[in-house]
Amino acid sequence: MSATLEFVRASRWYGQVIALNDVTTTIGPGVTGLLGPNGAGKSTFLKLAAGQLAPSQGEVRMLGQPAWGSPELFHRVGVCPEADAFWEQLTGLQFLLGLLRLTGYDEAECRQRAENALHEVALLDAKDRKIGGYSKGMRQRVKLAQALAHEPEVLLLDEPVSGMDPVNRRRVVDLVRRLGRAGRTVVVSSHILHEVEAMTRRVLLIHNGRILAEGDVREIRDLMDEHPHTVALRARDTRALARAVVGLPHVISLTFGAEGEWLTVQTAKPDELYGNLAAAAEEAGVSEMYSPDENLESVFRYLVAG
Amino acid sequence: MPIYEQTYRRHEARGPLRRVRFWPITREALRLILARRWFLALLVAAWLPFVVEVIRIYVVTRFPEANRILPVDGRLFGELLGWQAFFTMFITIFGGAGLVANDLRTGAILVYLSRPLTRRDYVVGKLGVPLLLNLSATLAPGLLLYAVALALAPDLFWKWDLAWIAPAVVVQSLTVSMVMSLVALAVSSLSRSVRVAGLGFFGLLIGLEVARGILYALYRRPETALLSLQADLRSLGVTLFGLADRSVNVPWAYAAAMLAAVSIGCLLVLRSRVRAVEIVQ
Repeated sequence: MSATLEFVRASRWYGQVIALNDVTTTIGPGVTGLLGPNGAGKSTFLKLAAGQLAPSQGEVRMLGQPAWGSPELFHRVGVCPEADAFWEQLTGLQFLLGLLRLTGYDEAECRQRAENALHEVALLDAKDRKIGGYSKGMRQRVKLAQALAHEPEVLLLDEPVSGMDPVNRRRVVDLVRRLGRAGRTVVVSSHILHEVEAMTRRVLLIHNGRILAEGDVREIRDLMDEHPHTVALRARDTRALARAVVGLPHVISLTFGAEGEWLTVQTAKPDELYGNLAAAAEEAGVSEMYSPDENLESVFRYLVAG
Repeated sequence: MPIYEQTYRRHEARGPLRRVRFWPITREALRLILARRWFLALLVAAWLPFVVEVIRIYVVTRFPEANRILPVDGRLFGELLGWQAFFTMFITIFGGAGLVANDLRTGAILVYLSRPLTRRDYVVGKLGVPLLLNLSATLAPGLLLYAVALALAPDLFWKWDLAWIAPAVVVQSLTVSMVMSLVALAVSSLSRSVRVAGLGFFGLLIGLEVARGILYALYRRPETALLSLQADLRSLGVTLFGLADRSVNVPWAYAAAMLAAVSIGCLLVLRSRVRAVEIVQ
């Protein structure tokens, strides 16, 4: 496997804080999951890979060139940042057109690429709506579309399914898998094992700025299953949702949020929960779903101690 | 070892970087700003002094004795640009204060810098917005007024010894527009709020001008002009157009050095603030 992205003893400090510590790794075509709890150094890893930060020490190379100070690489690299990075008054189409113009395509090609990318993320119908009126899932998808629109060889996706409802999550997971199968290099960061597992089996485990392990996600999964998993769901009808999941054998507890919009489910088998959720989620109008990282944190503590 | 489907067609990187990379940034921002009707009204209002000066020239051509009360000569262009500098302050606040602040607030700066652009392209692209808007309120009316003056009053303006007017208009307009734009952009980069950036820019200009006024009233020394950006710009105008304003009558080189220092300071601020990643230490 040829290396698309190489970290050679790369470190990055923010003043006294070390965000990434002496990382050496190579990433090739296909999907690679970057897994770690919040504050582990995942975003710093991606920003170094994207050349948006210079390494304090060591070297980061993207497609054979130093990542830092090579803006021409962005013809071949697409970045989907974690933060909402929008001009709210623009429509989805205008947002993509503006960014494609920066890449240097002519007007007709910009339009074609923008529409293709919006189609890819199932937003073509909403292309003329202002981003300010988009739901959380739509915002995530339009952000993904801007990273895809110039058909880059490398995609760096920072928490791409964070906050998405189950249907959109499925869509994005399928898209990422498709891109990986097509031979593109896709690096996806997440603090949720289940999300990464749905996209790839190759993971880099990162914690406190260090790569703890890399390889097959199943080994992490075995460790993970020993810990209860928490899933928070925002739904129109949380009571209906609770009724649908309360009888499942792996569900340990249910907690309603303060305003009745949120339901927190603790489960011993997240896979089964996600599997059972699809039908119930649609019925109860689930609009957002996320998993706090405490359980993953405990796995990391276990790994570090071990 | 994983086997990948060989369906992906490799796309070649489009050479190194394009030559003119900043223009799409400028164009998109201008498009958004000019879509606001009230801003267009402000730009139109900024041409009122031009209309007044045209009428003045016309009156003098019709009634030559009026030239004694309202002299029409090279100073007229300095007076026009003095008015225009006032309008550029508002054009810059409403057209420039949010340019970087908005991108910092929304994180859009990261999206910009994930394109084949350098940070310099980003700054030049953003700088182009207030610069072009300000030039439309200084250079355009200044040069057009000169053309109108040549057409309406050739006997007054078709003179070799008044050939300096056009270059002086260009120099003063570029200086006013560039300094205002740089200061606005630097202030914008220091905040994530458009309001704070706008008020900061306004406060900086007015605050320094008020301080200069107080010091001048106390000590009657023209050197106090060096304290205020607007006074420095006026001081250049006094030199270029032969205006009479004792309160800012300092050697032009001092005023120019002060404006250059401010501009360099603004560029340094932009250099440290315009980053894809904000580093908080």
